[in-house]
Amino acid sequence: MSATTRKAYSTVSEVRFGQVGMANLRLLHIDAKALEDELLERVSKAPQLLKCAALILDLGHLDKEIDTPTAKTLLDAIRHAGMLPVALAYGTPATEILAHSLDLPVLAGFREAYRYSAEVLNSLAKNDGVSPGAAVASPSEHTYTATRHHAQPVRSGQQLYARDTDLVVTAHVANGAEVIADGSIHVYGALRGRALAGAQGLASARIYSSEFRAELVSIAGCYRVFERLPSELEGQPVQCWLQGETLHVTKLER
Amino acid sequence: MTEIIVVTSGKGGVGKTTTSASLATGLAQRNHKVAVIDFDIGLRNLDLIMGCERRVVYDFINVIHKEATLKQALIRDKRLDSLYILAASQTRDKEALTQDGVEQVLDELRQDEFDYVICDSPAGIERGAHLAMYFADRAVVVVNPEVSSVRDSDRILGLLSSKTRHGERGDGGVPAHVVVTRYHPEKVAEGDMLSLEDIEEILGLSILGVIPEHDSVLTSSNQGIPVIHNPDSHAGLAYEDLVARLFGEDRPMRFLDVPRKSLLKRVFGG
Repeated sequence: MSATTRKAYSTVSEVRFGQVGMANLRLLHIDAKALEDELLERVSKAPQLLKCAALILDLGHLDKEIDTPTAKTLLDAIRHAGMLPVALAYGTPATEILAHSLDLPVLAGFREAYRYSAEVLNSLAKNDGVSPGAAVASPSEHTYTATRHHAQPVRSGQQLYARDTDLVVTAHVANGAEVIADGSIHVYGALRGRALAGAQGLASARIYSSEFRAELVSIAGCYRVFERLPSELEGQPVQCWLQGETLHVTKLER
Repeated sequence: MTEIIVVTSGKGGVGKTTTSASLATGLAQRNHKVAVIDFDIGLRNLDLIMGCERRVVYDFINVIHKEATLKQALIRDKRLDSLYILAASQTRDKEALTQDGVEQVLDELRQDEFDYVICDSPAGIERGAHLAMYFADRAVVVVNPEVSSVRDSDRILGLLSSKTRHGERGDGGVPAHVVVTRYHPEKVAEGDMLSLEDIEEILGLSILGVIPEHDSVLTSSNQGIPVIHNPDSHAGLAYEDLVARLFGEDRPMRFLDVPRKSLLKRVFGG
């Protein structure tokens, strides 16, 4: 019997990971009634945005840890206001244990994908044998990639790429070298090579150099080649930015 | 401790082999045990400049392929007892060089307690040049005062910091010295050649030595005597200064100014 069903679907489900924006409710005081009133008002003001919106509850800004019954009343207050709490935000190990007792996942903060601390995993495993794999939170909805810093000269023929972030070079960039960033580029030194900011299309990215002698600058694919540098820019501190389709290159005034 | 020094440049014809020969000789003159290896497989030159081309029986490739021992292949210099030359093969191409083979030869030189091993790199950035620099502890980058040579040297400096064993270990790459050769004070004064300041600014490194362009370099090469042996040659003296600076001696730069012409030469042309 089951063999025939299997022919109809090769698998019943697929697990996919993706990133979504989600409301984050930062709780400042433990007062379920006031919370419900406050949220009711907000939902009535912007029902399309907030009605039935999924929400992460952040307990990290309270001055004390809360117990499970208190947490349940808070979650009920949120539900009554018309929003859907789906997870707790990552906080202390106590938050993890609380989340477990509430049957809610813990979602990461803003920096790195969060994992349960070994200590909590052990205590959970002791309590009811939960498997570590199941407890790992999904990737965070906010990520921040640290600026890439490079202190050595970028030599001719070298290519430096700062993925998903800004690039800071505290040395010179030689002719024939290429510095690329998905964000902005700062060169504290002579920029004689090529600089390509906003490589993935970020039009608000900018290029800064304390000594401008570039062969080429590009922002979000909009580029300008300097066969001969304008005398008012050559060797000067310069910034480049994009306005519409126009790439501006101007001297940085002090 | 054996120190491996690569002499490299990127561009050809700038004076790598001349510099290797004089550097190796200068180190040996200070009673260090020195081996100089020609990595320019297929285009051997070093043995000519060292004046031992008629004594080459086995070469670097023979040692790598274990057709000869290192002892058999090392040629002792006829002027200095502590200087040895390992010639390149003229009949093979550079594909005959292998990384393991090069490493084995260098290890054996270490065991034989050589103080310095000078690796004379071929031009370009391909296999021969890559293997010449790969195991280096220090680099001497030879550059001429002209734009294309400086650009190539910049590329080589980039490779020294990334495509070498030190670079791959992430300890900042191979420390490099810049040596300017074929320096022509008159042409620099006329603005036809890059000045030393220009070169230092482009490369972001200070210059260890400047070798003036001089006929004695050509004569010495043709005679097979490294120019550092010639005390009457400005180039030879400049190489002597260079070796001294490697040992931390403070020697002021010389031969950088335009030589004054005598009245007779000015009148009759010179």
